[in-house]
Amino acid sequence: MVERCYVAASLDEALKIRKETGAHVLAGGTDLMVQFRQGTGISPVFPFPVVIISSVRELDDITAGDDGTVTIGALAVPARIAESQLVPYPVRAAAARMGAPALRNSATIGGNIGNASPKGDLPQPLIMLDARVVLTSLDGEREMLLDDFILGSKKTALRDDEIISAVRIPPVSWSYVFYRKIGTRRANAISKLSLSALMRFEDGRIADFRAASGASGPKVIRSREAENMLKGLDDAEARAELPAFLDAWNEALSPHAMPQYRRNTTRRMLEHFITSALEHPQSEIIV
Amino acid sequence: MTRIDDRIQRVDAVEKASGEARYLCDLSFDDMLYARFVRSAVARGKIVSIDVPPLPEGYYFFTADDIPPEGKNSLVMIAGDWRCFASGDVRYVGETIGILCGRSRAVLKAIEESIKITYEEQEAAITIDDALAVKGGPILEKDDIHCSLVSEKGGDVDEILSRADRVIEETVETGFQEHVHLETNAALCTIEDGKYTFYISCQCPFYVRKSVAGLLGLRPEDIRVRQTTTGGAFGGKEHFPDVLAGPLLVAEYHLKKPVKLVFDREEDMLYSVKRHPSKVVFRTGLDSDGKILASDINVYYNCGAYLSSSYVVLQRGVFHANGVYNFPATRIHGYGMATNTFPSDAFRGFGAPQTLFAIETHLNHIARELGADPVEYKKQYFLKQGDETVTQGHIVEKVVLNEMLDQVASKSDYWRKAAEYTPGCGKGIGMSFYNHGGAFTGNGEQAIIKAHLRLVKDGDSFTILCGQTEMGQGFRTILRKIVASVLETDMDKVAYDNPDTDCVPDSGPTAASRSTMIVGRLAEQAAMQMKDHLNEEHWEVETEYEHPEGHPWDQSTFKGDAYLGYGWGCCCVEVEADRLTNEIRVTGIWSSHDIGKAIDELIVHGQVNGGIIQSLGYAAMEKMENRNGHFRQSSMSDYVIPTSMDFPRQEWGLVDNPYEWGPFGAKGMGELVFNGADAAYTDAVERAMGIKINRIPVPVEDLEGLR
Ligand SMILES: Cc1cc2nc3c(=O)[nH]c(=O)nc-3n(C[C@H](O)[C@H](O)[C@H](O)COP(=O)(O)OP(=O)(O)OC[C@H]3O[C@@H](n4cnc5c(N)ncnc54)[C@H](O)[C@@H]3O)c2cc1C
Repeated sequence: MVERCYVAASLDEALKIRKETGAHVLAGGTDLMVQFRQGTGISPVFPFPVVIISSVRELDDITAGDDGTVTIGALAVPARIAESQLVPYPVRAAAARMGAPALRNSATIGGNIGNASPKGDLPQPLIMLDARVVLTSLDGEREMLLDDFILGSKKTALRDDEIISAVRIPPVSWSYVFYRKIGTRRANAISKLSLSALMRFEDGRIADFRAASGASGPKVIRSREAENMLKGLDDAEARAELPAFLDAWNEALSPHAMPQYRRNTTRRMLEHFITSALEHPQSEIIV
Repeated sequence: MTRIDDRIQRVDAVEKASGEARYLCDLSFDDMLYARFVRSAVARGKIVSIDVPPLPEGYYFFTADDIPPEGKNSLVMIAGDWRCFASGDVRYVGETIGILCGRSRAVLKAIEESIKITYEEQEAAITIDDALAVKGGPILEKDDIHCSLVSEKGGDVDEILSRADRVIEETVETGFQEHVHLETNAALCTIEDGKYTFYISCQCPFYVRKSVAGLLGLRPEDIRVRQTTTGGAFGGKEHFPDVLAGPLLVAEYHLKKPVKLVFDREEDMLYSVKRHPSKVVFRTGLDSDGKILASDINVYYNCGAYLSSSYVVLQRGVFHANGVYNFPATRIHGYGMATNTFPSDAFRGFGAPQTLFAIETHLNHIARELGADPVEYKKQYFLKQGDETVTQGHIVEKVVLNEMLDQVASKSDYWRKAAEYTPGCGKGIGMSFYNHGGAFTGNGEQAIIKAHLRLVKDGDSFTILCGQTEMGQGFRTILRKIVASVLETDMDKVAYDNPDTDCVPDSGPTAASRSTMIVGRLAEQAAMQMKDHLNEEHWEVETEYEHPEGHPWDQSTFKGDAYLGYGWGCCCVEVEADRLTNEIRVTGIWSSHDIGKAIDELIVHGQVNGGIIQSLGYAAMEKMENRNGHFRQSSMSDYVIPTSMDFPRQEWGLVDNPYEWGPFGAKGMGELVFNGADAAYTDAVERAMGIKINRIPVPVEDLEGLR
């Protein structure tokens, strides 16, 4: 059962090792080391070879392109993401509430995506923002919507020779935005439920509306159908449509446990966000 | 020179904070083997077969069959029913079936996973209700009741209830609670100077040797127990270390090599004792003015598969079931239910918190039904000096609850807020009152323990010898401070190490809030006697516990003064409820405690902070579920205890009410501070959300069902 463990100094080297040995990537190790721990005094046992990429320097930058696209390197840690002014608010808010300081300085965004846990905090706002993952292999790069990349609980479309190298968030603007994580406690807590939402008004009508629910199904839930119900409406029309929208969103959820809590709370949060936004308050962040 | 009123930095603070302290897992001996338990995977059933693969050289497996003929398969706790090894049948998930020993922990794990045990499973009883229905047939001889007792005072409760204006019936329940001591359970057994010797993380070294000696047909004094620096216990290391020590001793009997057993966190969560879940059923009769005439209270505790110390836990639960109140008549029945869960055992409060939570909640609900403020309603029943208790004894000391209430109400602005926060308005405030009987129940200190302590002088240094343990509560500092203060010397001149049963007299367990009150007093007396011999180069004095006069107790009828004295508490909690998410933000915590006298304010402050936060965790978030005998929470991410982010800074106060028989006037306090914040919290949450809570814990998802 003793499998090999490699340490890569560059992305290229990591890609070669991955291709040749099928090694799984270990970034911060905060999921893998926990998942494969054996107990006190016994080294973790991985059922596959592992390539440690935590010292690959080229993967932890956060940059903005000319068109406003923000690129976050796969090794960026939540502490940095939370601080970066380039990163859109809901992603920063999610990063700021992950774990505790030690975790926020060792976990990575690539690992949070690669792990694809329904309770992972970063995919939820990223999916709302139509973020894309950049997948690198020796053959080059491909990009796909994060929403398509995560297939289900703990399942992704990662190929055996690929490494997640970055996440790209396309330019986004909103009039109002919302982020909530309900954890098992106030700090160092796994999500029981989370929600992001944003709304943009143009000429008195809703030009954009999006939402994403975390910990409410096998993967982050977005319902573009439900979102579309609100688009193009003015305030009065939106208020009239609200109950039907909330029902449609509720239909999209499929919580495994605590269904009553997760459904009711999601409904109340969405209703609160939308009715608050329709009042056109000063502050763009709705709490 | 150390004075009793100085605020002392704990003597073990630096070594623990800097990581220099050596815990059991840091100990290593030449030739040492590791151990691993093989445990039952089912809650109830017959063991059909145990198939052990051929063991590699240097690896060993011991079971009940390896107990020598002169030994008995029993761990002698308070009862002796807990088996060292399951044999023939299993009674709970995690019951020890065997112990594996060998050099490599990785190999031990692999062997454990390859051992095949076949069971003939039987239907298990898991909950109190299962046990009441004798689900799956009796666990004990004829039913599922391990133990029971009744306490009553005043007139005939049935008769009074039959003529009451109305009778309010209500059930209040509490869940399991896991200790989550930072250091997991751990023990090492070896032979030193021809004698079986334990190094062990524990509260009560003398308990360990008493419990396991019979396994080899030995006497307790044939075994030596050395406490190692213990990283937290909360009652979880009062009897439970015996469960590690027993199989280790049997292995040692055969191996004669050091063998070390350290639980990892998952084992410690899944396979260790918990706080007893409870169900308390009230029938309380009121007259036409809403005044209480009598209360009939049935208390059920889930004790798990073995009795171990549960009867004493249940007694404490029953004796605290009417809280700090005096009703004209009360009758309390207590039942310790046998189930197929891991045996429940000691946990800070030792049975008192469950019934105290229940009575507070019940009275809050009655008050609200009558349209009265709960605090206003409750205070009319406060016990006073000289009042009769439910065990037909008397409250001997002065009770200053009204003063404590005033202190807390004025700091928290309770009366204004209570009037202002209408039910369901999103804000709430609640207040609870509680007490805790200090030391062993009844005459236990005299009849069972008879504590001894020795003080030795060599030149200008002193050494305290007793069995009390430091487990993070600060007792090492406290005891040295008491002695140094009496001797008017510096604390540095007074030594007091982790006890070793071969070197110290038995001063009883470190439990029951008795250490300062009882053993601190022995130290104070020893130091006072020592004072007349300060010019001698070497002098020794041994003090023995003397029962204060005027505390009658009959252990066969449970009548008389159940405790030598009580600590008293009042706690107020203010909350804001998030209407969207049910998240509760605690915005204020205020408390006042009567602990006689604080031996050290800094340590007492730590205990108050910690006890209240632990109690709030118990009420708000610490959910431990059991399905078919398996605990479902197995890590610190799914069983969550509060962090410092969850609750705000506390304001705390003490009242001065010196206790005649305690050192410098001190009485017990370590458990008291756990006993009431839970009820204040749920009271506040009920008001903020306009709901009724009859069961803790209440995490957000459970509050949803109450909205
Ligand atoms: C105490 C604690 C608290 C936690 N709190 C939170 C929390 O609040 N919120 C939350 O969302 N999570 C939390 N987690 C889970 C975990 O920290 C996160 O999921 C984290 O983002 C994982 O990142 P990592 O780099 O450590 O992943 P790793 O353990 O290194 O990897 C996780 C998975 O992703 C794959 N992977 C990693 N990097 C790449 C890459 N570049 N390309 C392809 N695959 C990759 C790995 O192969 C593995 O399958 C917590 C964990 C712990 C131990």
